[in-house]
Amino acid sequence: MNNQDINTNQEYKYGFTTDIENIRAPKGLNENTIKFISKMKKEPQWMLDWRLKAYNRLKNLTEPNWQKPKYPKIDYQNLYYYSAPKSAAEKPKSLDEVDPKLIETYKKLGIPLNEQKRLSGVAVDAVFDSVSVATTYKEELTKKGIIFCSISEAIQKHPDLVKKYLGSVIPLTDHYFATLNSAVFTDGSFVYIPPKVRCPMELSTYFRINASETGQFERTLIIADKGSYVSYLEGCTAPMRDENQLHAANVELVALDDAEIKYSTVQNWYPGDKDGVGGIYNFVTKRGACRGKNSKISWTQVETGSAITWKYPSCILQGDNSVGEFYSIAITNNHQKADTGTKMIHLGKNTKSKIISKGISAGQADNTYRGLVDIGKKALNSRNYTQCDSLLMGNKCGAHTVPYIKNKNSSSTVEHEATTSKINEEQLYYCNQRGLNQEEAVSLIVNGFCKEVLQQLPMEFAVEAQKLVGISLEGSVG
Amino acid sequence: MLEIINLKASINKRDILNGLNLKINPGEVHAIMGPNGSGKSTLANILSGKNGYKITGDLKYKGENLKDIPVEQRAQKGIFLAFQYPIEIPGVNTNNFLKTSLNTIRKAKGEKEIDTLAFLKLVKEKAKELGIDEKILSRQLNVGFSGGEKKKNEILQMKILDPNLVILDETDSGLDIDALKTIADGVNSSRSKDKSFLVITHYQRLLDYIKPDFVHVLSSGKIVKSGSRELALELEKKGYKKIN
Amino acid sequence: MIENFKISLKEIDKINLINQEDKNYRIKNLEFFNKKGFPTKKEEDWKFSDLREIFSKNFKKIDINDTYPEENKFRLIKEFDHNYILLINGRLIRSDFKFEDKNKIKITGYKEENFLREKSNNPLICLNNALSNEGYNLVVEKDYKFEKVLVIYNLFNEDLSEKILNNKNKIIVKKNSELHTIEYTINRSKNKFFNNTYENIILYENAKFKNICIQAGRSEGYFHKFLNGSIKSDSKYSSFIFSSGLKFNKQDIKIDLEGKNSDCEIKSALFLNKEDHQEIKTVVNHLVPNCKSFQKIKSVLDSNAKGVYQGKIFVKDIAQKTNAYQLSKALLISENSEFDSKPELEIYADDVKCSHGSTSGNVDENSIHYLMTRGLTKKEATQLLINGFLKEIISDIKSETIKKFVENKLEFQVYGY
Repeated sequence: MNNQDINTNQEYKYGFTTDIENIRAPKGLNENTIKFISKMKKEPQWMLDWRLKAYNRLKNLTEPNWQKPKYPKIDYQNLYYYSAPKSAAEKPKSLDEVDPKLIETYKKLGIPLNEQKRLSGVAVDAVFDSVSVATTYKEELTKKGIIFCSISEAIQKHPDLVKKYLGSVIPLTDHYFATLNSAVFTDGSFVYIPPKVRCPMELSTYFRINASETGQFERTLIIADKGSYVSYLEGCTAPMRDENQLHAANVELVALDDAEIKYSTVQNWYPGDKDGVGGIYNFVTKRGACRGKNSKISWTQVETGSAITWKYPSCILQGDNSVGEFYSIAITNNHQKADTGTKMIHLGKNTKSKIISKGISAGQADNTYRGLVDIGKKALNSRNYTQCDSLLMGNKCGAHTVPYIKNKNSSSTVEHEATTSKINEEQLYYCNQRGLNQEEAVSLIVNGFCKEVLQQLPMEFAVEAQKLVGISLEGSVG
Repeated sequence: MLEIINLKASINKRDILNGLNLKINPGEVHAIMGPNGSGKSTLANILSGKNGYKITGDLKYKGENLKDIPVEQRAQKGIFLAFQYPIEIPGVNTNNFLKTSLNTIRKAKGEKEIDTLAFLKLVKEKAKELGIDEKILSRQLNVGFSGGEKKKNEILQMKILDPNLVILDETDSGLDIDALKTIADGVNSSRSKDKSFLVITHYQRLLDYIKPDFVHVLSSGKIVKSGSRELALELEKKGYKKIN
Repeated sequence: MIENFKISLKEIDKINLINQEDKNYRIKNLEFFNKKGFPTKKEEDWKFSDLREIFSKNFKKIDINDTYPEENKFRLIKEFDHNYILLINGRLIRSDFKFEDKNKIKITGYKEENFLREKSNNPLICLNNALSNEGYNLVVEKDYKFEKVLVIYNLFNEDLSEKILNNKNKIIVKKNSELHTIEYTINRSKNKFFNNTYENIILYENAKFKNICIQAGRSEGYFHKFLNGSIKSDSKYSSFIFSSGLKFNKQDIKIDLEGKNSDCEIKSALFLNKEDHQEIKTVVNHLVPNCKSFQKIKSVLDSNAKGVYQGKIFVKDIAQKTNAYQLSKALLISENSEFDSKPELEIYADDVKCSHGSTSGNVDENSIHYLMTRGLTKKEATQLLINGFLKEIISDIKSETIKKFVENKLEFQVYGY
């Protein structure tokens, strides 16, 4: 493919900033900052103690350096760890009390906070910088006993659930970024689905980083009690800024007996400009525990944004007959770098996992699939199937596949396949002959390449994701 | 409709077409016959605008010089190539593809885009006309299609996109008699005074069903003989060697 | 103690060196090894084979070998005509090229000047760089095709006990020439020893080199071999590895495809039993356009055996039209066996065909059932299937007599337990 007439990239659509007054903790990472966060959130003592324990542990940890994308040293003392719109300091009781500027921001993002003009059947929790600003559909969910609120609210109102499950999948003393999150997390979503309840609508969180020099550390905890089902979606955007911003979220999922959690992400943080200036460092820890028998956790991710993405949504398959799935599309263009994949840890009997990863690189980007499939000695009759396909556009970008496969069990089967190729010229020619121009043809073929993953997304978001696939690659072919 | 003047083409320094002349008026059906390697498919590719050939001579379509017009714009202007080997595009739904294709062509013509409902109605109608099972349209584009299904799908696309110049590149190869009839019916029912066809084939069998106005024999990159339909029958009897 | 294993710099004084620079180079390498020690799983390349742990479990002490006895009592392979060279404990003892034009072949023992001074982060390569003083150097001059196969008898003597042997070999096949070797390891030592070999292979334009590596029979040997191959244009390297019965064996193979249209093929059939631990690691670097590479690794694991395959295909940005394929298949036939793999692709060119596949699991139950309905016992059925599974690799050997020879060796492994 030639790069003769590269079009200028379509501008990042969500790159605006909102002029809102903020309350901030003083810059820097120290006990006072943590105490400040905890105080602002009116947290009980046990929560503060938990944070401080994480902070003490953090002092002895260093940032991991085995991942492929390297980044300049982050000065943790020069970041704000808490930034909240002033108007939201007192949490609004209804949408009427939410700052109209915030409502306007979410409108620009196309996120329906206003229940009158709602997108049918999606309950939304919106997180602006560090705080959750609004949660929709609350009443309807409450009737079924479903708890869907910000994690701050859950800490106050449902301390038993939080105490029991927070940190039970990602321990307090995990790797550097996860532990950093445990110390300074500001907000995020909390979901609890009671036994035998099928959540009647998609639950969704939209994250937005607005303030500059601010790290965003959300914490999401989803618990699906016995026999329940929930589908959850997160989306993310950030303004265009020349500096790099850190986003280090933790997401923990717990599925008990016969429960199922479907977690989808459309990640479209600001990727930096075409020369690689600015953009989000997306260092996220996502982990799910299939704790009960017959439970299932399915991760679907469409990663198109961020300067550096570094995440491995994982499944710990503890319960017998439990199932873990990971469906991923990672698109990198210009100078973006992604190092993403999954871990499937098989511990229970008859556990199954499936990994479908599609990586697309264009420009000078680097795209790595890194994954672990570990079948333990006791995981009798377990199975894994992995397929990693990479597509390269041009020879300035790179595609890497780094799977680690461990099978300690003779009754279990592991299958792994990977391919790397470019878009077939004959396919492009065929599309051109039917009147499609180069970009339309590429978008169509790439969407076809990603189909197995796209069809895992809830309907409402599949369309958005498809467009995103096309937009992310604009300008990458001549 | 189409005028080819002294067309010479080579690929990787190998000459394939050596001064080909051909004129097709609106409403006419021309057949080009020739042995393997005579340059038949190259001609189809060059008319569609495929990259990679070194070309001299003139190609005029509706009076406009086709030189420098890329593949997709030729398609938008009404040139349709039914491929000899339609390529498989995994993950791409045939219906979606066809709708995208139709709408880009309509847009180029300054027509309004067609909505999904109207599109599906159109597809249903055309599929029925051709006697094609519309189920193939909800499958991935050409993926796992039999040879016959692929060719039928090409003809269905032709019907829906409604082009002015249709090039059939060995559409008959590898087909059984029923599929051949379906395809011929599709072409015959499309014939009109503002549509022209260029039927490229190795065998005269297809021409029993699609009756051409003119038959040309292509050999070593040149048209060596032109005539009426009877020429095709003569070829069938004597073989290509004798005609030279 | 193996944990804090250090080698005295005095060992270097025992090596005959004229050149101070050579000596300094060896000292630097030994210091590096002493600093790092035997590699552990913390190092990415040793993630699945923690050598320090294996050694500390099995060795109480370990010394540098300094005995190279003369040996005449070994029997040549009778099954087919061949040239040979005989190595004892790595030292070149004698050679016989009676089927060849002797003007076209140069064979010598270890020579310092044959090896470049390279820097390495691999402690075992550093250990080798520091202490190797035995090995062989084989050159096939240009425009010469070997008439018969060359067997390299690699014999380890009875007297070895808790010794380290460091050898360095070099094989050069010049323009338009062809060499076919069988590297045949014979272990006579009843005691534990560690053989650490560095091998350098250079194939010039339009050369062909085929090597069959046979390490069979139960042995107390622990083996590590690093192979550094450089393949110029239009030349082809192919390697078959059949090895079993070794306590520990790691073959670390790096092939640089440096010339256009070059080709590299690595195939392996491994049968591991008891506490065997075997790793094959391949890195194939596609550095120029139009090259091909192919790896097929088949392993059968019984008892407490552990098999590892780490394979990497690297494609440089200019290496368009690369065609690379890698396949690893493992059968786990005992519940305590383990197979780990890391098939890796690192690709910077877009017009390429690169893929890999890796599977591990049990013998197909349906096939076993089918064979049992035909009267075979479960054990017989399993043996038949694993033999067939491994034989596929052997079927690619062209010479019928050699194929038969390798087959017998392999069948002995599969049926002999």
